[in-house]
Amino acid sequence: MNNKFFKSYLFKVLLVTTCGFVSSCEDFVEVEVPNHKIVSQTVFNNDNTANSALIGIYNELFRSYWSGGGRNSISVLSALSADNLRTTILDNDLIEYEQNEISAQNTSNLNLWSSAYNIIYMCNAALDGLQISEGVSPEIKAKFIGEARFVRAFVYLYLVNLYGEVPLVQTSDYRINALAPRNNIDEIYSLIINDLERAIEVLGGNYDNGERLRPNKFAAMALMARVYLYLEDWEKAEAFSSQVITSSENYALLNDLDAVFLANSKEAIWQVSPVGSGSALTHTKEGNLFILLENPKYNTPVSLSDHFVASFSVDDSRVNSWIQTFSSENETFYYPFKYKVKYASSGDIEEYSMVLRLAEQYLIRCEARSRQGKLPGAINDLDRIRERANLSLLSNVSPEIDQKALLDSIMIERRRELFTEWGHRWLDLKRSGKVSDILSSTKPSWQETDILYPIPEEEIGKNPNLTQNIGY
Amino acid sequence: MKNNLEYRAVIRLCLLYICFLVPPPYFAHFPHGHCFNDYSILAPQQQLTLKGTVSDTYGPMPGVHVLIKGSDMGTFTNGKGEYSITVTNKDILVFSYLGYHSHEIHVLGRTTLDVEMLSEVTELQEVEVNAGYYTVKEKERTGSISRVTAKEIELQPIVSPLEALQGRMVGVEVVQRSGITGLASQIQIRGQNSLRNSRSDNGNLPLYIVDGVPIDSKPLRSSGALTDVPGIDPLSSLNLSNIQSIEVLKDADATAIYGSRGANGVVLITTKKGYGNNGKLRFETKFYSGISTVSNRMSLLNMEQYISMRKQAFLNDGVEPTPRNAPDLLWDQQRYTDWQDEFFGGTSEVTDTHLAISSGNETTSFLLGGSYHKEGTVFPGDFGYNKVTANFSLNHRSLNQKFQINFSTNYGIDNNRLFNSVNLINYALSLPPNGPPIYNEDGQLNWDDWIWGNPFSELYKPQEIKNNSLLSNMGVSYEFIKGLVLKANLGYSDLDNKEVIKAPKLAYNPLIWDRINSSSTHSLVQRRSWIIEPQIQYERRFGKLDLKTLVGGTFQNSQNDLLLSVGTGYSDEYLIGNLAAADDVRINVNENIEYKYNAIFGRLGLDWDKKYYLNLTGRRDGSSRFGPNKRFSDFGAIGAAWIFSEEAFVKKHFPILSFGKLRGSYGTTGSDGIPDYGYLDTYQPTPGPRGLYPTQLTNPDYSWETNRKLEAALQLGFIKDRINIGLGWYRNLSSNQLVGYPLPATTGFTSVQANLPATVRNTGWEIEISTINLNAKDFSWQTFINFTFPNTELVAFKNLEQTSYRNTYRVGHPLNIALLYHYDGIDPETGLYKVKDINNDDKFNYDDRTKIKNIGRDYYGGLSNNIRYQGLSLRFLLEYVKQNNFTYFTTLTAPGTYGNKSQDILNAWTGSEDDSDIQKLSQLTTANRAYSNAIKSDLAIGDASFLRLKTLSLSYELPSNLLHRYNIQKCSLFVHAQNLFTITKYEGMDPQGGQVLPPLRTVTCGIQLNL
Repeated sequence: MNNKFFKSYLFKVLLVTTCGFVSSCEDFVEVEVPNHKIVSQTVFNNDNTANSALIGIYNELFRSYWSGGGRNSISVLSALSADNLRTTILDNDLIEYEQNEISAQNTSNLNLWSSAYNIIYMCNAALDGLQISEGVSPEIKAKFIGEARFVRAFVYLYLVNLYGEVPLVQTSDYRINALAPRNNIDEIYSLIINDLERAIEVLGGNYDNGERLRPNKFAAMALMARVYLYLEDWEKAEAFSSQVITSSENYALLNDLDAVFLANSKEAIWQVSPVGSGSALTHTKEGNLFILLENPKYNTPVSLSDHFVASFSVDDSRVNSWIQTFSSENETFYYPFKYKVKYASSGDIEEYSMVLRLAEQYLIRCEARSRQGKLPGAINDLDRIRERANLSLLSNVSPEIDQKALLDSIMIERRRELFTEWGHRWLDLKRSGKVSDILSSTKPSWQETDILYPIPEEEIGKNPNLTQNIGY
Repeated sequence: MKNNLEYRAVIRLCLLYICFLVPPPYFAHFPHGHCFNDYSILAPQQQLTLKGTVSDTYGPMPGVHVLIKGSDMGTFTNGKGEYSITVTNKDILVFSYLGYHSHEIHVLGRTTLDVEMLSEVTELQEVEVNAGYYTVKEKERTGSISRVTAKEIELQPIVSPLEALQGRMVGVEVVQRSGITGLASQIQIRGQNSLRNSRSDNGNLPLYIVDGVPIDSKPLRSSGALTDVPGIDPLSSLNLSNIQSIEVLKDADATAIYGSRGANGVVLITTKKGYGNNGKLRFETKFYSGISTVSNRMSLLNMEQYISMRKQAFLNDGVEPTPRNAPDLLWDQQRYTDWQDEFFGGTSEVTDTHLAISSGNETTSFLLGGSYHKEGTVFPGDFGYNKVTANFSLNHRSLNQKFQINFSTNYGIDNNRLFNSVNLINYALSLPPNGPPIYNEDGQLNWDDWIWGNPFSELYKPQEIKNNSLLSNMGVSYEFIKGLVLKANLGYSDLDNKEVIKAPKLAYNPLIWDRINSSSTHSLVQRRSWIIEPQIQYERRFGKLDLKTLVGGTFQNSQNDLLLSVGTGYSDEYLIGNLAAADDVRINVNENIEYKYNAIFGRLGLDWDKKYYLNLTGRRDGSSRFGPNKRFSDFGAIGAAWIFSEEAFVKKHFPILSFGKLRGSYGTTGSDGIPDYGYLDTYQPTPGPRGLYPTQLTNPDYSWETNRKLEAALQLGFIKDRINIGLGWYRNLSSNQLVGYPLPATTGFTSVQANLPATVRNTGWEIEISTINLNAKDFSWQTFINFTFPNTELVAFKNLEQTSYRNTYRVGHPLNIALLYHYDGIDPETGLYKVKDINNDDKFNYDDRTKIKNIGRDYYGGLSNNIRYQGLSLRFLLEYVKQNNFTYFTTLTAPGTYGNKSQDILNAWTGSEDDSDIQKLSQLTTANRAYSNAIKSDLAIGDASFLRLKTLSLSYELPSNLLHRYNIQKCSLFVHAQNLFTITKYEGMDPQGGQVLPPLRTVTCGIQLNL
């Protein structure tokens, strides 16, 4: 190769490249969106990706602190602040819940609050995206909006019950949300009711592929029944729970107590699948946390309180099916055994985490009916639960039970039936008006103001419009 | 005035040989020949014929280009290396040859002039400093550039190039975080600038450039517990023997030409090039071999001491030992195991060979090299590291000197076999010395006696890391009119990193085998990038004014792919790792990140009469990491230098001063070291299948962090440059910090990326001294001392209290601090540690941790000496660091509890002595709680200053007259020791890293042979 060639050829190459950079650089640094991310507008531009955004919410409900069933979930924390669980290891955050001495710096409390608002953000982002979307077909869009509203209502129902007045965030714009003040309880409930009404309107009665992982119309009704129960609108509570109970093609109380918490059990109205963890582990967090195979340690920090276990009568079959014991050298631990699987990896998923189930609807209706004085119907409903638990039927042993006594039995039955599920005991105690009487006997440091959890201190520091609950 | 010219020549000479740390043997290269002392007696226009021979160490060199500077008149040496040319007395001759330094020599009335050419590979290269896009004479530089060369790097038995910088440079802090081979060293150039200092989001990484190709300086991720912090070194697959020099650019003048990427300094690595005279082939070989052991151990309790401590603790507590609270007291009380021996007491063998062949003639030269490096580990089991590299370099220059092309490629493969251990060091330090045997008699792991799992089980979780890197670069240039050169640099780099971690059932207790499955964790990282940098250079001299300009552009595209997957449920142990055999395969992360970068840069270098220098650099940068409105930003710097020793009055009044330079610079650089795509409002796949979710809030308007750098420096040479002193001061102000702006969780997230008005100020003094203590034919001795006094301060940070940094930083303090409780002595009643409850709320939290201690470096430096007696030479480097750090205290548990302890606890509080600083032996939870508060108090901070003999090498070069008989150019035998000793008061494993595997002590010996 001679020099001349080099000279002429390379000279041209050089000239071209040199001129190249003089031309505009602006375009060069444009990058396309990578395939592990999708720009928000694109997500809500077609049915498929919009569907994925909804699936994302359900997946995340499993990973999210407040809803996952793990150590910072409502199922654990609220059961501690009520009287169903006790701590078995030294864990300050959990002990504060157990003793109702939650500090505003409590990390579990911050996790609970933050993760709940994270799910609200996801719902709001989906709603914002769907509302302006033109690419999603109308009926699908309506359904997805219904689902997102349902989940949002579900989160707010817990926030308002745990914290009282909370900021009612309805947009995904952080500039607005960062300064959101606390809204009063009526406003929050009216959003919840409005969301659920819309959801009932647009959602169908079936489950996709028989998987009870996406809320349908009945899930919305079931939640609505609970909302009205909490609001003491007995008529509506009865009406909505009746609609769920009568949907017998969908739901039934299972006689086999060991089958209640299985995936897609006929008792389930809404469940969350461990598939959301994204790992090879497919057990529920409740199963993993509660089941004790060795001495309690960080991963198994709680067990059932002795006085709760003592509240069962000996022939209650729930004791056998839903409670187990582990004995170490000098101590016996009772642990919830509703979920039977502590470890599972690969293979079919046996259990889903239960959020709403039919038994609660019976208990809601029974309470609503007895409040309205419809005692026979109420006794009938309660007996469905007692019957399954192998307890004597009220219609046999005390058909003449008065309203007050019936309501007391309902309270007891709710506690035994729904223990360590989604904070039922704590919320029931709160609305019963007897929380102080009941808890102050076992918890020396109980104060009236403990019925609300503190707003996390960090949050107050960041948002000047937030105020603290009384007593913190 | 009379001797002005000679004086200048002498100064230059001195500068060449001494100021720039050139060892004396190279004195011999000055051109010989008759030379008039006084220029004025010569007739300037008189034509004369000049003759001579040009040679190098191998003999006469044909084809050397001899040119009269500033003209087209020139000739070439003939086959015997001889030339003849007609010149005038005023002319300057330029001798040039590919791969050799050009010589410029004044005629000055000579009629004969023999010249010895020096290859660029020899140490005289030190005269020319690589500033990235241009080179600059060390003497004339206006910026702050430090450099180490092959000489310092090549004998060290290390794998990562940056380790060679430790202790050698002012303002450059290199910390080896662990003694495990192949891990990234932490490098910080003039302090921490960015508040973002986490592993996933680090805004403090310097820019790495290897042969003009930028290499992503972010350590490669690893899922292994031994390796995840600090991650895998992206430079580990380079061949150390093939590195010509490493330059570190520090101040604005030097780094502004790298614009946005220069904020944290620039590390330039240059590989070797071939050279040769008349096609003669050169062989260069090197071989060394040696052993490494752990350089430090802790003095822990022996078996008797341990047992008596435990018994005493129970006695103190009034508690009866039971199998549950004292399993160790039921174990064999005669068995004694030194767990440090068991876990890292091994000896690792190191072997390294290197071979390079090079040759060339006046137009073309090449270098072909390869190396093999192998070392074991100090851990039990079959683990180790090996590396194979190959490199090739080709240079061509047209006969008329106008066209030039350089090509180089470096290829390296390395393979690191380790195991996935979370607790290795912790086990070694804390297992009770009377622990049960590791293996049963049948050779299986003993699970029965170990309550918390067999500590050796982690060795059965093998981890293999493979790197595969290709680095290729081509530069072409053509001088198409005098002084005007058109250039283009093209580079390509490809780094593949593959990691597999296996977790067979075997590594778990058989009792839980029904619950678990064998699994494997896979990680695949691919980093590919190309760069094109067209440039125009123009140089011209106008009388006393010398002008050098450079304009160029950069187009860079980097693709960074990551694939993380987990396979579970293998039916057979042998199949683990083969995803096809797994029951279940999950892809956890699959990212394909593209980064594009574009810039226009320029430089204008002026010098007046070789006395006054001015250097202007600037760059306009665009980076795809910013939103459309914030993509581009401008950076620039001005640097100036004044060589005042050239001034007549200085020469007259301060004859002792042989060199004096004052220089300063000011400018801005930026940082685009932020995560990609941060400005996009996007959804990502959820960990669970088929879902999408938003993972962050987006702020499309965030912008560049800026860094304003100011520097002033003075360089002095005394007694013909036998003593050189450099004194520098710098100040870097980093503002517009891009950090997570804190948001309440009601927004769905806790922060959004935004530029905050937080400012970090780094100031510091840098001192360098080099002396030639002795310089005789047979005996020479040089000393180099460097010291850096850094000072980092967080000057301002609005609303720090509400950010996630609130428990990390404090305004008005350095960045590397510990927030601590106030230690309050030992409670005379309980015998337990006390810390102060500052706000008296009966709680111990960050509100009480108001004691602030700097755990960064107070100052640091190095001392090296080169001593030569005839063929024997001794070199050593001592590294000194003054600092505080967390002591071993923080990783052990309360005295008296389960687990081994430091010998210190023999002095535990008993109530009788006045002031013990070890609390009472007790195994109660109250004791543990007191201890856990105390380790977060100032009690846990100790002096971690150290003096380390970093390198020591003794080499003997065989006499050349003996070697020439066998046609051998050079043969030397050497012994090299790395980290031979460390003097420190620090009681933990390593004063730099805390409780990690300390840097290994390595002793090697070897031979270097050049044919």
